[in-house]
Amino acid sequence: MSEWIAIGGLAIVAVTIPLSMMLVSWLLRPSVPEQGKRATYESGEVPTGSSYDIRFNIQYYMVALLFVVFDVETVFIFPWAVIFEDAVGNDAVGFISVFLPMAAFLGILVFGLVWAWRNGAVQWATSQQAERQRVE
Amino acid sequence: MTLAETISSALGLEGAVGQFVGGFIGAAIVGTFILANAAVAGPWAKRKITAAFTDRIAVDKLGPLGIGIIIPDAVRLISKELIVPKGVDRPAWDIAPLIIASSAILGFAVIPMGQVGPVEFQLADPEVGLAFVFAVASIASVGLVMAGYASNNKYSFLGGLRAVAQNLAYEIPLILTGISVVIFAGSLQLSEIVATQQQSLVELGPVAIPAWFAIVNPFAFILFLAANMAEVGRNPFDIPEAPTEIVAGFQTEYSSVYFVLIYLGEFVHIFLGGAIIATIFLGGPAGPGPAWLGLLWFLVKIWGVFLLTQWARSALPRVRIDQLIEIGWKGMLVLAFANLFVTAVIVGVLAPL
Repeated sequence: MSEWIAIGGLAIVAVTIPLSMMLVSWLLRPSVPEQGKRATYESGEVPTGSSYDIRFNIQYYMVALLFVVFDVETVFIFPWAVIFEDAVGNDAVGFISVFLPMAAFLGILVFGLVWAWRNGAVQWATSQQAERQRVE
Repeated sequence: MTLAETISSALGLEGAVGQFVGGFIGAAIVGTFILANAAVAGPWAKRKITAAFTDRIAVDKLGPLGIGIIIPDAVRLISKELIVPKGVDRPAWDIAPLIIASSAILGFAVIPMGQVGPVEFQLADPEVGLAFVFAVASIASVGLVMAGYASNNKYSFLGGLRAVAQNLAYEIPLILTGISVVIFAGSLQLSEIVATQQQSLVELGPVAIPAWFAIVNPFAFILFLAANMAEVGRNPFDIPEAPTEIVAGFQTEYSSVYFVLIYLGEFVHIFLGGAIIATIFLGGPAGPGPAWLGLLWFLVKIWGVFLLTQWARSALPRVRIDQLIEIGWKGMLVLAFANLFVTAVIVGVLAPL
């Protein structure tokens, strides 16, 4: 239990350090408001529109979905990896009955990865316009 | 005994009060130690290393080798005017640098950093140490997305999206490779993982080669190094910032203290990556000589990883975003699965013998 108190202590320290830097900076820094200073940077041009109404590709949805699947899977592998060596050494359990269920589980996931791969879900979408303008 | 427990017993405090006081003092020491490393790395070491690679001199006026530049540089950066661009999404824009900086510092809570005299320099040693450190290290991605979205800048937005795509692609190979070490060690507790690596693998005359997991499984080590480069966003995988493509990515609109915090977070994150590599692959604070040299060996290892990132920064070209996604999902994820299977089979077949 005391471990988590110490970790919580570091969490508070880790937030306090940046906050105190912000405070010191607030005390030191000048404020010189000027016309045009607050424009967002767009290579020196006057910014057109806002970034909040940019539309981006739906592929992020697929990639994020895949990520959730694989990330949850790693949570299941952690306990398996911890007991693996002991379970294999135990005569009542043995290598096959420890390894095969996880192999089957991972096999299904790898199969899913192959499916996503063949469907182009793990590929960066290229626009047709960009493809036409390619010069290599 | 961990650092927190050592402090509370040295002060003669017991129970809840001792745990709180020991925890906070220990946390303050660890936080200061990390900040000192980042302060040396950011304004000084990075410049010196890059200058050495490009045949220049860099800072050399203040103090020996110019190391005195750290103080004036810190004052200069912190006292700059903070320009808040039009239409930024506050307070998300203000919170993002805070998250990036503090999540990286928090990861060091469980890292065993060796001995200082008789004291173990490790703040806490929970049983789920490795899972904790992976979880905390990836909080920074949330900060990157917030920074990219809230800045109201198209370059920032692209940088934020790239940061997500990159972290999603490399998080899983990283953790799977970490799990292959857990199969060897049989524990998630970092002190336990370090202790497992103390055994000697082979004896070559007077020299005993230790069973560091980098030596036992070099393939996993290289895979982890590469995935870690992508995770901390350094060359050749620094595309979320990619100065020649999208200005500075998610940090384009940040100035003054926020700029410092984002940079601080990135440096601490590199060191955290180095600390994870040192702990699970390079025997943590182990090295030749007496045990009290542990902290020194640990520092050598994390600075070695830092040097590697700066070397890659000077020497390697940047991959494109589409190449990066392919390397991550089609290359490293498959290799990470293969590594996990092979490790499980090797350990499973060798353990009964």
